[in-house]
Amino acid sequence: MMKKYIIAAMAACMLSMSACDGFLDQEPDKIMTDDQIFGDAVMIKSVLANYYGRVTWGQHVADWGGLTVLDEAAYCNGGPDHRSTFEDDRWRVYDYTFIRNVNQFLSGLRATTVLKDSEKAPLEGEARFLRAWCYFNMCRGLGGMPIVGDEIFDYHADMDITAMQYPRSTEAELYDYIIKECQDVYSMLPAEKQINSARANKWTARMLEARAALYAASIANYNSKMVNPIHTEGGEVGIPASKADSYYQIALAAAEDVIKNSPYVLQDRRPDDKGLNFYEAVCVKDNNTEVIWARDYKYPGQTHGFTTQNAPKSHAEDIDNSYLGVVLNLVEDYELINTSTPGQKSLIETTENGTYKFYNSSSEPFKDRDPRLWGTVIYPGASFKGVEVVLQAGQLNRKNGEWVIQTGDLNSKDEHGNLITSQNGPKESNEQYINKTGFYVRKYLDETPSAGTRGRGSEMWMPRFRMAEAYLIAAEAAFELNNGKALEYINAVRNRAGVKLLTTLVFENIAHEKRVEFAFEDHRYWDMKRWRLADKIWNGNSNDSQARHRRLWPYKVVAPGDPNDGKWVFIEDFLFMSPNARYFKMQNYYNFLDLNWINNNPKLVKNPYQ
Amino acid sequence: MKMKIIYNVLFVLALFNLLTGCGKDNYDEPESFLVGKVTYNGESLHLRGTGEAIRLQLYQDGYAKHDPISVFVGQDGDFSANLFAGEYKLVTRDGNGPWINKRDTIHVKVKGTTTVEMAVTPYFLISNENITASSTSLNATFTINQIVSTTKIQKAMLILSKTQFADDVNNLFRKDFTNVSSGTVSLSADISGNQSIEKAKALYARVGVQAVGADQAIYSPVIRLR
Repeated sequence: MMKKYIIAAMAACMLSMSACDGFLDQEPDKIMTDDQIFGDAVMIKSVLANYYGRVTWGQHVADWGGLTVLDEAAYCNGGPDHRSTFEDDRWRVYDYTFIRNVNQFLSGLRATTVLKDSEKAPLEGEARFLRAWCYFNMCRGLGGMPIVGDEIFDYHADMDITAMQYPRSTEAELYDYIIKECQDVYSMLPAEKQINSARANKWTARMLEARAALYAASIANYNSKMVNPIHTEGGEVGIPASKADSYYQIALAAAEDVIKNSPYVLQDRRPDDKGLNFYEAVCVKDNNTEVIWARDYKYPGQTHGFTTQNAPKSHAEDIDNSYLGVVLNLVEDYELINTSTPGQKSLIETTENGTYKFYNSSSEPFKDRDPRLWGTVIYPGASFKGVEVVLQAGQLNRKNGEWVIQTGDLNSKDEHGNLITSQNGPKESNEQYINKTGFYVRKYLDETPSAGTRGRGSEMWMPRFRMAEAYLIAAEAAFELNNGKALEYINAVRNRAGVKLLTTLVFENIAHEKRVEFAFEDHRYWDMKRWRLADKIWNGNSNDSQARHRRLWPYKVVAPGDPNDGKWVFIEDFLFMSPNARYFKMQNYYNFLDLNWINNNPKLVKNPYQ
Repeated sequence: MKMKIIYNVLFVLALFNLLTGCGKDNYDEPESFLVGKVTYNGESLHLRGTGEAIRLQLYQDGYAKHDPISVFVGQDGDFSANLFAGEYKLVTRDGNGPWINKRDTIHVKVKGTTTVEMAVTPYFLISNENITASSTSLNATFTINQIVSTTKIQKAMLILSKTQFADDVNNLFRKDFTNVSSGTVSLSADISGNQSIEKAKALYARVGVQAVGADQAIYSPVIRLR
């Protein structure tokens, strides 16, 4: 018995000691040499695909929860969401691993002999563009951060680590670096449109240049106008006001180049259905002329669950539905087409002469608004996939000369067979799969069959740069430079949208246009920050109609014999699902630096309020 | 049989190991206390005490890491921290608080229970507050004392809360007034028809004043109305 064990143990020992002599000394098949990679177009593509897959930051389509953080939509998937303040690391990017990987790619690419210089240039341009995009995402959250150039850091045990510890650049230096990189790669990149706008071309680089310059300009401009401008001694945060004009000029020139010379145009193919046109311009890839760069998705393998999670209950293809409810705050910002004050929000009236205001249909308050409302939001009575989405919170009945509200369970009917509460809601409840605001989201909702199932998911892309932004960057820069061209640019966007053209322009019109055009497209948070408006709009007051989410619920009048029978009324209220107002503190203008980064690199200075 | 004994012995040894394993590399828990107040002229300040809004930072020299220990300040300006005995540096957080952002370091030697005063210069102070509420309106009379002559008032706030934690964020009701100047002010807000105020079993009130450019407001003490 014992002998057996001893023999077994000895055998094990012998095996483990004699293992390494030859048969393992093979060429590794999982680590490629640079020449193996650059000698094969498919390999190059797969390395780049890896990089493209790692640069999605901020609000994005594969993270529906991120869309509830601002004042666009509310969380409806269960009980109340007590969110109020913004995290110190909200949408913070600190990805020097990515930058190092890009630099490894660049050094390999420059050294290899298997590619001609003309073949290297577009690849180098693409890699450097992605690196600039990474820095841009870092900069808009944290301010100036270390610029490491093409350096690839390799650490060995006995090295002097202080040589690797780079101090932070100033905020202006980092924006300058991003702008310069974009300008440098412009001539390297192809000018043609890319399949599904998934890869960068020179217009993408121009757009990043324009956006970075605009961000830098507005920080120089609006930060300096604050009573206590946010800044650090070394300028890691805060840009001097004197630099504003030159940044606005860069932004304007870059945006005008895209408008005049690029193959993209504002997509405007349906003069008789502007709402559908807007949806198609943002959400449909086929024959798209609008989108310059997008995070593309493709089945199988690269899909997301946005449609599964957010489809109306009546249109759901799987268990999930109704996670997001668009809030009234956003809906009201879409102006009435015949408004006397174009370029501003139009409030929805719910009362008249001391009683309810009666509307002829559930869609009446919405259908004559900015068509982009239809393209962004599913409002009561609007259709999705050609079938109406019924949103009805309850009935309004007449009892003893008084109006009385009656609500019921989902899909409940009264004794005459009239619907009380729709299967979609809205309804006050802590349960899942019910709409609670009165509006669904349409932007990014995929009409493709079975895109709303858990198993398949949706291929809906998320545009990062599109033509409308080029026009609005040009409009904003021209407005700030006061050179008289701003109206022309903002009106190009408004004309495509199908709303009245502006005859005069104030700053609020630009902020309004950005909000309605780019809802859910990762613009608003950064815009409110760079304009230094975030702490004023999201002031933490639960009684404030802007800072707190609001709802608007439709009720059908069921009062046989009454002249208003069959009409609709609406009731507005603060949203119970969002009991707290959004509260943007001064410290939220810049992310905090993680203390671990500072422990590893004591040359990093902290951000204000930290 | 022999095997069984060996296994049993091994098992007992393993158990013994488990029971005695901890002990050598652990510290004792910190036993010293640092307690203190944020004051102006010796009077404690009334602040926002929720949401970790106002915090001080403790640093200790001589260690590799530079993370500060955050010390949270309560709504009556008091704070406390459970620490190891030693020398610490106490400082306000950059830009945080309704006072001048001076960030002078206070050196404290913590041993046993140590008390410390964090003296700051607030932009404003509130005194002589008198707050009343009827079923329809909330009325407050108070004096805003301007301490720093160069600052302006961004807003004054009337606040109602159903708990004794009342501030700009934690409240049932808040109304902001922007055209307010220092001296004695009377403000009122219409609260008629507000269901949540009517239903509240307890009701506390407070007024606050926020200086332009300050991230926090200074408050009056909390007054119980109901």
